[in-house]
Amino acid sequence: MTPADDIEDADPGLARGRTELAWNRTAISFAALGGVILKNRPYAGIPVLLFSVLIWRLGRLTSAPAAGRARARHLLLIAVAVTGVSIAALLITLLGPQSSGFRP
Amino acid sequence: MASFPARPVTTGEHRARREEGETDISRREDPGGASEPADGTEPDARFTFANERTFLAWSRTALALVAAGLAIVQLLPPFPGIPWGRHIIGTPLILLGSVVAIVSYLDWTGNQRALRTGKPVIRSRLPLILAVTVAIIGLAAAALALLSAVTSR
Repeated sequence: MTPADDIEDADPGLARGRTELAWNRTAISFAALGGVILKNRPYAGIPVLLFSVLIWRLGRLTSAPAAGRARARHLLLIAVAVTGVSIAALLITLLGPQSSGFRP
Repeated sequence: MASFPARPVTTGEHRARREEGETDISRREDPGGASEPADGTEPDARFTFANERTFLAWSRTALALVAAGLAIVQLLPPFPGIPWGRHIIGTPLILLGSVVAIVSYLDWTGNQRALRTGKPVIRSRLPLILAVTVAIIGLAAAALALLSAVTSR
C-alpha cells in the first residue's frame, strides 16, 4: 500500500479536510465582519466575534465522527446567525446615526 | 431533515464493495436508524461533505453581502443632493444577505434529501437571485451617481 492510498482510505477525496477548511473560512468571515462592526458599534460587534469562535469549534466537531442530527443543527445555526447579523446590520443602517463617511 | 454518516466511506471499502458485486457504491442502506429521514439510504460521505461546503460557501457570500451593505452606508461619503442614496444601495445588499442565508439552508436540506432518496439534485435559484439583484443594485448605483453629479452642479 502506498502513502497516497493511506490518505485516500482515511479521507477519500480529502472531503473531510476540505470541509474543515471551509468551516475555518466561514469562521474567519464572521470574525472579519465582527471586527468591522466592532469599530463603530461594539455592542453588536462583540457577539459576532464570539460567534466566529463558536463556528470554528463547530467545524472541529463536524469533522469528527458526529451524529447526523447534530450536524444539521450546526448548519441551521449558521443560517440563523447570518440572518441575525443581517437584521442587526439593517437596524444599524436604518436606525443608527448618519455617518459622514470615510475620508482619508 | 438530512443526516450524515459517522465517517467517510473509504477507498478500501469501495474496493471491497465492488468485489462483493455492489454496483452503486455512492449510496447504501442506513443501518443505524438513528438518522433522518427514515426513508432513503445513506449517501457517500463525499457527496454529503460537498453539499455542506456549498452551503458554507453561500453563507460566506451572504456575510460578504452584509459587510458590503454596511460599508456602503457607513463608510461611503454621502451622495451630494441625495441624502438617502447610500441607503438605497446598501439596504438591498443587506436584505439579499439574509435571503441568501435562508435559501442556501433550504437548498442544503433539499439536496441532502435528494441524495438520500436517489432523486435528482434540485437546481438552486440562488445564482439567478444573486445575479439579478446585484445587477439591479449596480444599475441603481450608476443612476444615483449620475443623478448626484447632475444635481450638484
